[in-house]
Amino acid sequence: MKRISENSFARFTHLTLTALLCMLPSWARAAELQVPAVVEAGRAFSISVDGSGQATFYLVGPDHVVKRSVSLGGDLQIQSSDVRTAGRYQVIVCGSLCTSATFEVRAAQPAHLSFFLHPSRVPVSTPDAIDASAFVFDQYFNLVLTPAAVDFRIAPANGGAFSRQVSTRLGVAWMRMNSTQHEGRVQVTAVLGNVEEARVIQQVAAEACGLRMKAVTSRDMAVLETDPIRDCSGNALPDGTVVSFTKVDKAGKSTVDAPIKKGVARMQFSLHGPAQIGVACGVVLGNEIAIAPTGKL
Amino acid sequence: MKNLADKKRALRKLSPRLARAASFVIAACALAIAQSSSPSSPETALPAVHLEADGLAPRPIEELTGTTIARDYALAWRYLVEALESNRSGRIDEEFVGFAKDRLTQRISEQKHAGLHVRIVDHGHHLKAVFYSTDGTAMQLLDQAQLEIQTFDGNKLIDTQNVAHKYVVLMTPGADRWYVRELEEVSAQPL
Repeated sequence: MKRISENSFARFTHLTLTALLCMLPSWARAAELQVPAVVEAGRAFSISVDGSGQATFYLVGPDHVVKRSVSLGGDLQIQSSDVRTAGRYQVIVCGSLCTSATFEVRAAQPAHLSFFLHPSRVPVSTPDAIDASAFVFDQYFNLVLTPAAVDFRIAPANGGAFSRQVSTRLGVAWMRMNSTQHEGRVQVTAVLGNVEEARVIQQVAAEACGLRMKAVTSRDMAVLETDPIRDCSGNALPDGTVVSFTKVDKAGKSTVDAPIKKGVARMQFSLHGPAQIGVACGVVLGNEIAIAPTGKL
Repeated sequence: MKNLADKKRALRKLSPRLARAASFVIAACALAIAQSSSPSSPETALPAVHLEADGLAPRPIEELTGTTIARDYALAWRYLVEALESNRSGRIDEEFVGFAKDRLTQRISEQKHAGLHVRIVDHGHHLKAVFYSTDGTAMQLLDQAQLEIQTFDGNKLIDTQNVAHKYVVLMTPGADRWYVRELEEVSAQPL
């Protein structure tokens, strides 16, 4: 009798242990997480976590870390302020075991444009002289990587306005264009939906075109004066632009620089016999004249 | 038969040299592994950065700029890895500016507050330059990085990930280096 009861006890113990061992994996099973693959920045959402009991919840993002105790078997609310920065986020839930998942936060709708226009001054009628680059950001200053169409509106002070549409690639839209024919300010505005950013560049006259001078002599002096100096599109070169006059006579070669004042450059030379005088502005050479002290050109 | 004997003799002569060369390679590998697997050492090894800039627009890259970009990006990752491991923002501002610096500093501060730290074993980066502005003030790059990321709560390892990571990077030049201005991780799928 005693032997029977001992056997029963042993069998009972054995069965109980077996049952416990079978159940152990389900107790030790990590909580299962259901996380959306992609979330928009600044938008609240929930994560479903199965299981029961208490656990520690971690959210690790590019600029934000959350750690708190949670009850398993329900939805975990993720606040909009927890996911403002675009990038990859890691969710970890640790009960008896830890389990993890990742999701991506993508930028929200475009809200800011960072716009660069280069250069600030540009000569007229120059091919591919103007560069415009626009970086598209959302309200949390995440780069908006999904393609968007940026409209570059170009409004010259003299001449008709026009526009060019460029699609962003990885948050950047850029274009290159020729400068227009007339000097003056040109406003370029980058537009994307309700967002606008304007920049202004100054178009200035290009190199001088058809540079000419005339001379008036009196005894041993020659007064030289250029015609109004303009570029090939008819824009006057700005005052202050340097014009070089070069004289070659028996005393040798001498060069004198004079700035443009009121559209023309003037210079006075003393003469020592016949002389050859030339004029240049930047890389442009003007006419050359032979002069004598007698006053005859 | 004579040929075989000659080969054996030649091998016998070569074997000490081979053994020496092999031991050198193994020692070099061990050093590299030791450097890369001991992030708690005062200076983490510089990760390997390979830069590809074919067909870059609107401006082509100069050779010196390419070298500088690769060096500064590697340094940026070294400081990032050190900062996330130690929870000290220390040298972050030497290679990060703007939003990238602010966000990383914020992350380190919150990580420290929560008692977490992150250990990254950096297996290298493949950078592809995609945009370089004409005035040379901004360069956008895509980075394919192989990282092993371990997250700790105190001393307890709570998560390990060893997958490829993809980053969109914006770098801008400073007085003597290129800074990381934006560093945003994106999914491997095309956008």
